[in-house]
Amino acid sequence: MRFDPIPVRGSTRRERILSWAVGLVFAFVLLRLFTMQVLQGTRYRELSEENRIRVEVLTAPRGEIRDRQGRLLADNIPSFTVTLDPFDPAYQGHPALLDSTVEHLGRILGGDPVELREKVKRERRRSFVPIRLMRNVDMKSVAYVSEHAATLPGVDVESEPLRRYPLGSMGSHLLGYVGEISDKELEDPRYADYLRGDLTGRMGVERQYEKVLRGVDGKRFVEVNALGRKAELLGDKRPILPKRGTDLTLTVDLALQRAAEEAFEPGARGAVVAIDPRNGDVLALASRPNYDPNELATGISFKRWKELSEGENHALFNRAIQAAYPPGSTLKPFVILCALAARAIEPGTTFRETCDGAFQFGSRPFRCWNPRGHGTLALRGAVAQSCDVYFYQLGIRLGLDRLSSFMKTLGLSQRSGIDLPQERRGLFPDPAWYDKRFGVGRWSRGLILNLAIGQGECSVTPVKLAQITAMIANGGMMWRPRLVREATREGAKISLEPAAADSLSHRLSLNARDLQRVQESMEAVIYDPHGTGGLAKVEGVRVAGKTGTAQNPHGDDHALFICYAPAEAPEIAIAVLVENAGHGGSEAAPVAQKVLHAYFHPAAAESARIAALKPAALAPAAPPRRG
Amino acid sequence: MANTRLGAEVDRPLLVAAILLALIGIAFVFSATANAVMEAKQGLYLKQFIWLGIALAGAAVTAIVPYRVYEGKLSYLLFGIGVILLVLTLFVGHVGLGAQRWLGWGQLKFQPSELAKVVTVLVLATILSDRKTDLTQVRSLFKPCLLAAIPMALVMKQPDLGTSVAFVTILLTMLFWAGLPPLYLFLLVTPIINVALSFFLPVWILFAAILALVLYRSRLRLVPILVVVAINLVVGIVTPQVWNHLEPYQRQRVTTFIDPNGDPYGAGYQIIQSKIAIGSGQVWGKGFMNGTQKGLAFLPEQHTDFIFSVVGEETGFLGSATVTLLYLTLILRGVRVAHRGRNRFGSLLAIGMTSIFLYHILVNICMTVGLAPVTGLPLPLLSYGGTSLLTSFLQVGLIQNVAMRWREY
Repeated sequence: MRFDPIPVRGSTRRERILSWAVGLVFAFVLLRLFTMQVLQGTRYRELSEENRIRVEVLTAPRGEIRDRQGRLLADNIPSFTVTLDPFDPAYQGHPALLDSTVEHLGRILGGDPVELREKVKRERRRSFVPIRLMRNVDMKSVAYVSEHAATLPGVDVESEPLRRYPLGSMGSHLLGYVGEISDKELEDPRYADYLRGDLTGRMGVERQYEKVLRGVDGKRFVEVNALGRKAELLGDKRPILPKRGTDLTLTVDLALQRAAEEAFEPGARGAVVAIDPRNGDVLALASRPNYDPNELATGISFKRWKELSEGENHALFNRAIQAAYPPGSTLKPFVILCALAARAIEPGTTFRETCDGAFQFGSRPFRCWNPRGHGTLALRGAVAQSCDVYFYQLGIRLGLDRLSSFMKTLGLSQRSGIDLPQERRGLFPDPAWYDKRFGVGRWSRGLILNLAIGQGECSVTPVKLAQITAMIANGGMMWRPRLVREATREGAKISLEPAAADSLSHRLSLNARDLQRVQESMEAVIYDPHGTGGLAKVEGVRVAGKTGTAQNPHGDDHALFICYAPAEAPEIAIAVLVENAGHGGSEAAPVAQKVLHAYFHPAAAESARIAALKPAALAPAAPPRRG
Repeated sequence: MANTRLGAEVDRPLLVAAILLALIGIAFVFSATANAVMEAKQGLYLKQFIWLGIALAGAAVTAIVPYRVYEGKLSYLLFGIGVILLVLTLFVGHVGLGAQRWLGWGQLKFQPSELAKVVTVLVLATILSDRKTDLTQVRSLFKPCLLAAIPMALVMKQPDLGTSVAFVTILLTMLFWAGLPPLYLFLLVTPIINVALSFFLPVWILFAAILALVLYRSRLRLVPILVVVAINLVVGIVTPQVWNHLEPYQRQRVTTFIDPNGDPYGAGYQIIQSKIAIGSGQVWGKGFMNGTQKGLAFLPEQHTDFIFSVVGEETGFLGSATVTLLYLTLILRGVRVAHRGRNRFGSLLAIGMTSIFLYHILVNICMTVGLAPVTGLPLPLLSYGGTSLLTSFLQVGLIQNVAMRWREY
């Protein structure tokens, strides 16, 4: 029965070793407690009562953004931010004192006391990090705050990099801006490493590449005593220096961007997108009216923000990607491509009804844009002169099924996939869509007539229009438009999700001869004596394009224009939209012409620009707030 | 009759210490959450009180059912269940604070890693008390090391480094108690020391010299010596090489793994606030419910991982030393029960359970006074947490089980 009289051999010795070891370790712990609580207790008591240990965040500068030639589009400058710690012992049990401090600060810094008080109230509930009350404060106010530290408990001045857009409103929609993180975002796990008051990218590249542009914030511990002086806590933790975010080099060419933005009349609303058809590089992306992102970087009043975002012109709205318009006649080359692919027409095909300014469908006349009529035209002439009657009949011949399924392969109802946030989808309705909208069989076959000339329920964003134009130019390659050419962190190139970029670019299976016919007809638009796009001609380069005038139930027609050049070996494809401007040939084509001119004759364009340059054209960063 | 005789053998100091600690725990969970901003936290002490009742019932069960039933097949079965639950956690677990540590149905959540530690002790006690296990033979180390490595690896995957190191502590303590020669024990830990030291060449050379000397004087046979030398050389040379070839983000992953809150804004801040809380308690403390650090929510995990800081702040050195001494009592009585027990399985069982306590207590308290990194381990018996409290009392019950039947072989 008894296997093991002494159950564990030598256990007496081991018990002694173990007990002593345990005792020794516990004695060490007790010694530590004794040191902290008895020997250093007074010091720690002071720390817990009078003085406060704070973490000071050393904000990392965001990565710089440059154009494809390395010209600066966004960088950072040092600035001062006034912070308030609502948990300062002075405020414990004295909420009125906090209010009066906020009011006092509002007076010094020139902020709205009510807005500031709201901010403090909102933010103190969330965290115990000092509240960044006001950014980009001028030196005079900094000096005042420092001098009056004793009467402003918990108030401090921190240095923070301020985002600066040295060219002001140039490229504002493309770049986006930065703003304070919202409550909703703070609850989002994707923003887990953000603190209240942190800046984050809003719209544009700033938003899309927030993850890489944002650096890694540094931190340091500071001890703040009753006099507001700071002493770094040595020994416990050394400060961690911030790391600047990734620098981005965009595909955009500043000269072209400038030409695109300045091609518009002052006060005009519209958009331009220029794409390199060889690789999908976005060369320019402009939306008018624009805004000054510097103004938004420092935090603006609610009123001003409402004005920008909801005002009459919706300046914050990026018309190049967020707005879908009826393509009007710019859709016609695509309709031709569909008809050729379906073998519904030959280049020489003409239709029974000749154009006398209108086309009778049932009891209703469908007008051609030209009331005098075009006579009988074949493919080339119909595109060049944009004859609606030709396309009404082509539409009937194709039918909604064939046309809508072809537009689906062009991706007209899909996003272009450009690396910008909030891109809107266009729409090209199919029978199912109409069934759902109006009920099965409760819609007229006549809808196809309007769709065939790019009117009615179809709509497309300027960026999508530019993408398809580039596809026609390059012979069938649908590139996903891309804005970032290169990303560098600490001097070394890094890659940004390369897989996603390629997966969205694809080749369409189109007949080369069909494409060639469409390309020729688009050249005729510019060079045919009766062509509608003559205003897009540029010296020394052969251009191909298509005008469009989209009827707009809410007001004047939108003017559209798509083009690419040189026709024989395209390097640039452009889509232009001008809201409520009238005819595409007279209003949108000249805008494209200016961009083409800047592209093919950069020196001439630059000298013309400098000649016209007013001193105010180079906008500085937002001036510091005044007291 | 038998029961009363058994009852007389209960280790009273251990039982009293455990219950006192649990009651102190409830009091300070109350104090730590009384002013909580989130109302959901305010009733936690009541929840903990109910858990204490369940835990005491559990302790009674584990104390009364003779511990011998666990020996052999049942220990393997329980170990298997524990491992399966850990695997389940990886796939369907709840993510808490960045790691998958929880399993649960509806409101009920529990942490399988707590259970895994207990069943690992059972299975190791079975193996090490087996007469066929001869610890003077190197090859007999293989099985216990492998079995301890399984739950350890699974917990590491969660990732929960703090708990996974607990398995190493359990293994080493039980091997030591089972009579593993100190030389072997040393050789067993050399690769671990090696990894840590391989980044500091001078210290590593010194360590290599000591190892060489020990091996030279060990009178081991050539093959085991060569194996130890080979493993150490490989580990020592490969580790820095591998490290240098890792991508920055991979390195980042490793460093965050070792120190999950390496960011001083997170953990460093917690530790500084914890030290201020404890230190400012001075000799007598600020008084129950009067802590100021916790009042401002400076201690984020104050009712769980940082409960000791609240004790230190509100009851001063007097209170924190008392709690520390209660823990010391718990450990030393546990060692005594293990020593006294005549049955090898029972003795190993008791020492294993005690080693779990020892590891958690030391790691947690050292963390709050700034001697150890923040690992997210609770303080047994004191911290808020149902699974933790229940497991602690199951352990107490098992130790009492061995104490009551110390005469049995």
